[in-house]
Amino acid sequence: MTTETSELRRRVQLWFGPQHPGITGNMSVQAWLEGDTLTAGVTHVGYLHRGFEKLMERRRFIQSFPIVCRICVPEPDTNEYLLAAGLDELSGLAAEVPQRGRWIRTLVLEMSRLQMNLMTLGGHIGAMAMGAAPNWLIALRDLVLDRFEELTGGRIYHMFITYGGVRRDLPEGFAERMEANFRTIEEKLPLVDNVIFDSSVFRKRAIGVGVVPEEWVDEMSLSGPIVRAMGIPRDVRKDFPYEKYPELDFEVVTTTGSDIYARAWIRRQEIAQSMDLIRQIFRKMPEGPYCAKLPNMLTWTIPPGQTYVRAEATRGEMGYYVVTDGSDKIRRVHVRAPSYVHGVALLERMIPGTNIADLAPLMVSLQVCPPEMER
Amino acid sequence: MSVKHTLAPFSAWLQAFSKPFTLPDRHGYREGADRYRGWHINDTKTCIGCGSCAEICQNVAIDMVPVDDPVTGDSGLRPRVDYGRCCWCALCVDVCPSGSLGMSNEYIWVEADADAFRYIPGVDPKPWDSAEKGWRQEEGFDLVDHQRVPMPMLDPAERTRTWAEVVVGYSREEARREASRCVECGLCVAACPAHMHIPDYIAAIRDGDDIAALNIIYDNNAMPEMCGKVCTRRCEGVCSIGVQGEPLAIRWLKRYVTEQFDDLSDVVHAEVERVGEGKKIAIVGGGPSGVTVAYYLAIRGFDVTIYEALPQLGGATFFGIPKYRFPMPSLEKQVKLLTDSGVTIVTNHRVEKDEMRQLLRDHDAVFIGTGLMKPYGLRAPGEDLPGVMYALDMLRDHHIGKTIDVGKKVVVVGGGNVAIDASRVSLRLGAEVTIAYRRRKVDMPADEEEIEDAEAEGIKIVTQAIPLRVEQADGGRLDFIWGPAEMIQEEEGRRPRPKLIEGVENHMIVDRVIVAIGQGAEHSWMPEEIAEKIADKRGWITVDENGMTAYDGIFAGGDLVNSTADAISAIADGLRAVVGIQKYVGVLPASEDEGDEPVAIAT
Amino acid sequence: MEFQSVRDILDFAITKEQEAHDMYADLAGKVERPELQKTFREFAQMELGHRARLEKIKAGELPGFTDEAVENLKLSDFLLDVTPRPSMGYQDVILFAMKAEKRAHDLYVGLGKATQDARLRQVFKGLAQEELKHKHFFETEYDEFILEGN
Repeated sequence: MTTETSELRRRVQLWFGPQHPGITGNMSVQAWLEGDTLTAGVTHVGYLHRGFEKLMERRRFIQSFPIVCRICVPEPDTNEYLLAAGLDELSGLAAEVPQRGRWIRTLVLEMSRLQMNLMTLGGHIGAMAMGAAPNWLIALRDLVLDRFEELTGGRIYHMFITYGGVRRDLPEGFAERMEANFRTIEEKLPLVDNVIFDSSVFRKRAIGVGVVPEEWVDEMSLSGPIVRAMGIPRDVRKDFPYEKYPELDFEVVTTTGSDIYARAWIRRQEIAQSMDLIRQIFRKMPEGPYCAKLPNMLTWTIPPGQTYVRAEATRGEMGYYVVTDGSDKIRRVHVRAPSYVHGVALLERMIPGTNIADLAPLMVSLQVCPPEMER
Repeated sequence: MSVKHTLAPFSAWLQAFSKPFTLPDRHGYREGADRYRGWHINDTKTCIGCGSCAEICQNVAIDMVPVDDPVTGDSGLRPRVDYGRCCWCALCVDVCPSGSLGMSNEYIWVEADADAFRYIPGVDPKPWDSAEKGWRQEEGFDLVDHQRVPMPMLDPAERTRTWAEVVVGYSREEARREASRCVECGLCVAACPAHMHIPDYIAAIRDGDDIAALNIIYDNNAMPEMCGKVCTRRCEGVCSIGVQGEPLAIRWLKRYVTEQFDDLSDVVHAEVERVGEGKKIAIVGGGPSGVTVAYYLAIRGFDVTIYEALPQLGGATFFGIPKYRFPMPSLEKQVKLLTDSGVTIVTNHRVEKDEMRQLLRDHDAVFIGTGLMKPYGLRAPGEDLPGVMYALDMLRDHHIGKTIDVGKKVVVVGGGNVAIDASRVSLRLGAEVTIAYRRRKVDMPADEEEIEDAEAEGIKIVTQAIPLRVEQADGGRLDFIWGPAEMIQEEEGRRPRPKLIEGVENHMIVDRVIVAIGQGAEHSWMPEEIAEKIADKRGWITVDENGMTAYDGIFAGGDLVNSTADAISAIADGLRAVVGIQKYVGVLPASEDEGDEPVAIAT
Repeated sequence: MEFQSVRDILDFAITKEQEAHDMYADLAGKVERPELQKTFREFAQMELGHRARLEKIKAGELPGFTDEAVENLKLSDFLLDVTPRPSMGYQDVILFAMKAEKRAHDLYVGLGKATQDARLRQVFKGLAQEELKHKHFFETEYDEFILEGN
């Protein structure tokens, strides 16, 4: 028996994805196993590649908005907001965005965080093959999607925030219906807590599993729930406040442990935080126009310039580096997507030593969103 | 591991005995939200086929396709949506200048044939065509700019004391801002009789390239400064932005460009072959149609001579249009370009019968554009009284420098542009002016803006007033007697006709009655053998698709030929004759099929 | 003039149409402008058409006069009478024709009033109506094309 054959017998190569139902989306991890322990993993992305950044260079400014929402399917609004914010800033339209427009943007961003966290929390336990809680959480998320449908005309792709403000005002009675949904969510969440955070299965598989060392934070520019689960109060909404967040009262949620459990717990707390923020927004939102007077979409040009704008997505810091060159199209967009850091660099670094069964929960807890890795 | 944590997973079983998490109404059909972005709907009657929806669609899911019975003035096209490409972003709805496009809140549609998912909303019937819910345009979010950059104008009180131009003109910044409102749908190109390249020169203005804009304009308009000031601007009437907002100020933009240059010969460079060397063309009548023919043939090397009875070229734009609308230097500038291009201009020269016969013998072709120069008479008792005058004569005398006495009070009979011009000139000559018009204000053929301006300057308009007779009044004044009219709608779609209500007579004591009821052709200069062949009973001349009359070698255009009586139609006639004459003299292939395509003249 | 029968009246009317034709034909030879000569010839032809129509009615080939309503624009009521001159223009040609039709119309109206016989009165009414139609033709031409700006 040669060394080579023995090596082959000891190490099994396994393709995890891209169609694995337990995975976070269409990407794959090429993993090597020794027993049931992973020794190495290489990520393969590209299954969703449409070249969003390049597409935007060939479209007029307004035409890029139906594209950017696809950069993260379950949480499209951060992308819409960031493109809008970048163009607002470069064109000087920022000064004209009406207050109500800014409040509605904040509302949409927070609704988006809320529904994304509901879904991801379900994913946490779903990846451990527990079926009930994910179904409940998806049902609760649907309530928020109902409000999205009512506000923006679409459930998943909202295409709602544009430069200058937003596309529509709130419908009549929107806040009341939202409040009714919140009551339902608040009523059901203890059940969910019970089968997730109190469950011995979840606790055994999440506590102390997938621990991200603190020294990696700055080295790898980690952000979002991953760092908050280490006790570091890092949140773009506080650190680099945008839109109406400075006027809202909230604390950055932190915990310690830096494991899967801690990250799930952060998400659970942020669900409550989002609902609180939305209630505040409804109280504070003034009447008035919701969008600035927009220039002719066909002929609008933006002077040369570049900017970096950022926002807190549920996955971490999302940023858009936008360059304009004085023409009617964007010269370059670079999307700084948290999943690119978390889902490629961090994931590959964390795989060695992880049990094969924990790979899916780990990916969910890092909140890997494949389309945003392959803009 | 505590007991609590061990039992917790099983608590999910308790849900088996309670109400489901999901809501009962999730079963079966669920109506889309009020502004759901579902399948498209389109009100094809208000849709103008401008194609802005196709333009904004980032998926290229919308094609503009021809449909049966389009409405006049639109492109005859309607959007067809391909749902294999559509992403339901509804930008097409938000941009729609006419507001006709919408989306229903219907989202379920099952069909075996994949091609069915490409249809023309509003044309191919669908169950959701009449859906009341769904995404629609909403006030407060506009992707196009509905507000025109205001044109600075002289104050009405100040205007009447001077002959200065009423319209001040756009600055460079204002022009660029106005130009940037254009959505480049091109409906204006089809509406313009001369098919000017409107979106192209607007784009050049927007980009700050005035020289390019001027050259694009000169491609098929040799009197653009005149058009920029007084054109009847049918382009603006069909402008898609005008459906819900104020149309692009196309006329003012053209005006802006032409005003930027003092000497056009420096900047206008037509790049055409001089195919006409050695060919001689005579033009009778120096109005817009004649000038057009002269310019575009001269730059092609033809030997062109224009004969004009009045001291200046321009036709009605010279002797008819008052200088506060179209100042003399503007006209002279355009005439200079004509001379610079090599046109021989013979003014103060009326061609008579024998000379016309001689012209025909000496030239390869003759173009007639003598216009409608003969005012129709009042034909009411008292029309011969001193003090009854004709607007056309009065305007002409005024513009060739004669002194006109209109007295203190004037009534102008008529409602066309000539009537308005005569009124505003009389006003500036110091008279108090009333317009008496037989029909309603909406029926007035005069430009709406002109009517507004006239009223702003203090001119009174009496409508549905039929002139009955003019009598001598005390102190050498005149008693203008008129009767009220009722409006009769005889045929659908035609303007209603006024009918006298008998028994009522109104009196107006005035110093002058200025008649501007209409005008006809005057052919006494034309040899009989020609008139017999080319003129119809009304004096109008019929031409073929090349602008040629029934008399071999005689081309015609202008008010004589088209019934619209505006300068841009005359220019269009001229352009047609330019092509026609080249074919006739054999420098263009006669078989070349121009079709309905806009004729690019200079390039 | 006494009319005993419908036939008498129709004969009279046919003569009138013939006279009108002769007048226009005569004028066609007198005016200077060739395009107006054409116009008068057209009018003369129209009168022949009217005559033919009356003859058909007389022969019983047509049922009689239609009773369709014709709008009276009354233009010929207050506009000046014109005398045909060789140098006359299109405006005066239309005005002249319009006035001629009005005279014919007035004639039949007058004759109808003077007639006791209800049946004959009906015939005059029909003839007057015919002339009114002709007048309307010229009045709309005048309204549309001469008074274009008024």
